[in-house]
Amino acid sequence: MVYGIYLGLGLMCFDVGFALEQLKTIGRELAMSSQGGFGQSKEFLDLIKSIGEARSKAEEDRIVLREIDTLKARLSSPNITKFKLKEYLMRLIYVEMLGHDASFGYIHAVKMTHDESLLLKRTGYLAVTLFLNEDHDLIILIVNTIQKDLRSDNYLVVCAALNAVCRLINEETIPAVLPQVVELLGHQKEAVRKKAVMALHRFYQRAPGSVSHLISNFRKRLCDNDPGVMAATLCPLFDLITIDVNSYKDLVVSFVNILKQVAERRLPKSYDYHQMPAPFIQIKLLKILSLLGNGDKKSSEQMYTILGDIMRKCDSASNIGNAVLYESICCVCSIHPNPKLLESAADTISKFLKGDSHNLKYLGIDALGLLIRISPEIAEQHQLAVIDCLEDPDDTLKRKTFDLLYKMTKSSNVEVIVDRMIDYMISINDHHYKTEIASRCVELAEQFAPSNQWFIQTMNKVFEHAGDLVNTKVAHNLMRLIAEGFGEDDNTADSQLRSSAVESYLRIIGEPKLPSTFLQVICWVLGEYGTADGKYSASYITGKLCDAAEAHSTDDTVKAYAVTALMKIYSFEIAAGRKVDMLPECQSLVEELLASHSTDLQQRAYELQAIICLDARAVENIMPMDANCEDIEIDKNLSFLDAYVQESLEKGAQPYIPEDERSGLSTSSNFRSQDHESSTHALRFEAYELPKSSVPPKVPSVLSSSVELVPVHEPSYVADVPQPATSALTVSNSGSSELKLRLDGVQKKWGRPTFSSTTPSTSSSDTFESNNGTTRHESISSTKSKVHDVSYDSRKQQPEISSEKQKLAASLFGGASKSDRKQSYSGQKVSKTNSHGADKSDLIKAASSSDTAAVIPTSQPPPDLLDLGEPTVTSSAPSVDPFKQLEGLLDPTQDTTKLSSSGVSVPNAPDIMSLYADMSLSGQSTTVANPPPNAIETHLAKQPSKGPNVQEFLEKDALVRQVGVTPSGQNPNLFKDLLG
Amino acid sequence: MIRGVIVMNDRGKPRLVKFYEFQPAEKQQELIRSIYRVLCSRAENVSNFVKVDSLFGQDVRLVYKTFATLYFVFIFDSSENELAMLDLMQVFVETLDKVFSNVCELDVVFNFNKVHTILEEFILGGQVLETNSSEVVKTVEEILKMERAANSIKVVPSIPGWQGR
Repeated sequence: MVYGIYLGLGLMCFDVGFALEQLKTIGRELAMSSQGGFGQSKEFLDLIKSIGEARSKAEEDRIVLREIDTLKARLSSPNITKFKLKEYLMRLIYVEMLGHDASFGYIHAVKMTHDESLLLKRTGYLAVTLFLNEDHDLIILIVNTIQKDLRSDNYLVVCAALNAVCRLINEETIPAVLPQVVELLGHQKEAVRKKAVMALHRFYQRAPGSVSHLISNFRKRLCDNDPGVMAATLCPLFDLITIDVNSYKDLVVSFVNILKQVAERRLPKSYDYHQMPAPFIQIKLLKILSLLGNGDKKSSEQMYTILGDIMRKCDSASNIGNAVLYESICCVCSIHPNPKLLESAADTISKFLKGDSHNLKYLGIDALGLLIRISPEIAEQHQLAVIDCLEDPDDTLKRKTFDLLYKMTKSSNVEVIVDRMIDYMISINDHHYKTEIASRCVELAEQFAPSNQWFIQTMNKVFEHAGDLVNTKVAHNLMRLIAEGFGEDDNTADSQLRSSAVESYLRIIGEPKLPSTFLQVICWVLGEYGTADGKYSASYITGKLCDAAEAHSTDDTVKAYAVTALMKIYSFEIAAGRKVDMLPECQSLVEELLASHSTDLQQRAYELQAIICLDARAVENIMPMDANCEDIEIDKNLSFLDAYVQESLEKGAQPYIPEDERSGLSTSSNFRSQDHESSTHALRFEAYELPKSSVPPKVPSVLSSSVELVPVHEPSYVADVPQPATSALTVSNSGSSELKLRLDGVQKKWGRPTFSSTTPSTSSSDTFESNNGTTRHESISSTKSKVHDVSYDSRKQQPEISSEKQKLAASLFGGASKSDRKQSYSGQKVSKTNSHGADKSDLIKAASSSDTAAVIPTSQPPPDLLDLGEPTVTSSAPSVDPFKQLEGLLDPTQDTTKLSSSGVSVPNAPDIMSLYADMSLSGQSTTVANPPPNAIETHLAKQPSKGPNVQEFLEKDALVRQVGVTPSGQNPNLFKDLLG
Repeated sequence: MIRGVIVMNDRGKPRLVKFYEFQPAEKQQELIRSIYRVLCSRAENVSNFVKVDSLFGQDVRLVYKTFATLYFVFIFDSSENELAMLDLMQVFVETLDKVFSNVCELDVVFNFNKVHTILEEFILGGQVLETNSSEVVKTVEEILKMERAANSIKVVPSIPGWQGR
């Protein structure tokens, strides 16, 4: 049905030269008629000038406040012409744009919308759309005007009203204008129809319910015989399809047909942009198709042909062509996979990545992230490009690359990726992104950690640098891991893990400015396991803990953890039968805490004091070694109190009545109001909440006496409490039990299912290898740089692909399926060399020969380049050095490639940047020595149609200088070079 | 959808601010300042895209480009294509240049109502409405003509009427 619609349309010819000529006259007229030369008054000019010259924000504010006063006075004067008023309104808008309150003038803007004159009406509408939000009280005064204007004969008035509708109408006022907007969908002017569609879309966004019966209109407008209206309809349809795909599956054929017609240039020429047929419409359609084809084989199959066509035809030399290409890749990756399309998507991606433009690289990385979900193997051939992007100074590109790495992390490359992420995390200041990266590191580490050792080290790093930004849950996870170990019956490994943790923490604890969460973990681990392996004395550990508590004297939580840790260490000492002498600093710490404002700290300090005085047997019961792993049984019925309750009852205490039963009784007035309040829902005021809290202590007399059950500070309580083992544990070990409780529901993600068992055995050979590799690399790079100096422009070299980088690449991209890769080693090798280009094969050969040489002694199966991925390789100190050398190499080579880009295989994608560069000021764009040929062409093409108007040009220039708005720019004429 | 369009000069002074979701004045200033800070920290010859999810929420990006002393900034979410936005910005600027011959910063400052008119033709309610520069020029020209026509007729008689109120 849609298929034939655009066939009958004639070409919409528009004579650009004519229009420009006219515009120029308009401009001149305006310039002549106005006093300032910009169509504004002298006053406004002066205002802008003085603000431009303001030296500080305070001075600017003073000027603006003065202006506000002036405007207030002027606006309230009765003799004010409409056109003065218009100017004041513009100044108000300006003032508000600078961040000052202009609300005193809102009413004038509202009044101006009532005006008959189009100029004033439009100014009024502009002002209200900028000033008011859709819930503002004044809107109600405009609705009437809008209604009237929507009915106007003048379509420009209708358009102005529709603009306002899009911005100002809220859910309540939609019904007031809805019928008219719907009527306008059939307006004869396509501009009005377009805007009406948008307005309806806006209504849908605001209040989907209000227009749900009108959604069929969007489908109808899709068949509008104006392509512009059709294109406008794609916006709401995109939204609708995003929400509910299934209701729109029937439109797949139509969309495909429209896309086909667009791609076959059946639309009027006026929709062409940079020789592309209606690229913006294509992009929108591709977005829609990718939604519709997602996971739907039948629909996807209908799209394959057109997608293939578009990707083939697209002009990859222009910006917009690449935009369409990128969108096609997104679509191909989203719909049911088709091998042929995926292949061409992969080709396009590699073109993007090879280009010089950062924008293209960005899109390439993004698209790669989409594609690897379908065909993970594709990542490999782009490894070097990805690593280049990772090293790029462009932050946006770097982040995109990290997104990609995050998506392709697996157990074989997690160490490299997380290391990189952490390095990057340390280097940035942006809180938001730091948090994101930190949580990603944690997530990846939890999911893929090859060993617990590594996990703990990684967590330490994350905590050290972003501890305040990560979820506390992560800390608890870490503690649990240390406590529970591998979850296997391998006690030696567990204790090794703990000792290494303790060791690392003892090293770290002295550092200043550790995040609170991390300190808590440290204190807890030191308390639990500090003395466990006998390597460190109790006094050493306690000393460290006291230092930490003192250094963070403002942080109560850390102090609490530290005191509890002290308590644990002392009680372990006592239980082991050793004599405890408290260090003086511990003593003073405890004394300080005894008088602390925090009751929690006080209690802990008292507990510590109490425990130290006890004998070994009692302490052992209170603080059993390694108790944190025991499951705490919670006796919800408090059955151990039964005897006590019985006793009290016999003594005449009132029996406990459960709360639900209690609310049924209405014995006391207090209860009455209580349950009255809870049972009636109609009137509920917050103030009534208060009494509720006072009820529980009042009710059971049994409970009130139960205070004795927590006699923590009484030295004799061990003897009193009937079952010290459980209750005392819960009380005194509160630090750990608290943690315990919060840990439930945390899935244990780490572990070894995917961990390759070959790694430990190869590690020795790998370190050897890495040394070998780096020394080799140094020699290579030095020779390379020499070669480079000599013949640096003779051919396109890529010496930057050092063995180091290849190793990084290998560790990132290799090892996806280590076992099968080993078998196909030789074949892989060949393809690798090919993909990197023959000219650097010597380097690869050199690198690989060093690899094999290194590996042979250990008689391992011959590893390919991809197997070098060992943590030791990247984290070892010498590896840093070659990178620096590399960076020195990088710059000149990039220049070479740039200069010789006209020559070689890369199709002229990079020209886009320079194309744009010719838009910018010629004085600034010194880098663009030779604009690409097509840029020059457009230059030339433009010149005759619109020559520079020297007179006007100079006037403006002079004025700008005089006004001094842009003292920094030498040449105020923005787009001079656009005009040649 | 497009969240906003900002034009500011290289010293962070806003020249045109249009948000398609209402932002209170203070929030606007804050956003402009933060964006300016981000843009200043960008090196030359890097991509034109910046992720600004910390300012605007999940998945919101901006495209910016410097034209002489002005930064043009489009803020948008994942339903738009970055490169296409960059080209739309290009078209917008080209249109400005056609309407104000040899457009410069002061044109934008003084005639921001006209700039708004042009922008309204391109983007309505956060959706791209038109992408053809000459179409927009045509429409804007028509509007200007109408406005002037209205003026010449109305100027004399309407002023006394207004004053009489």
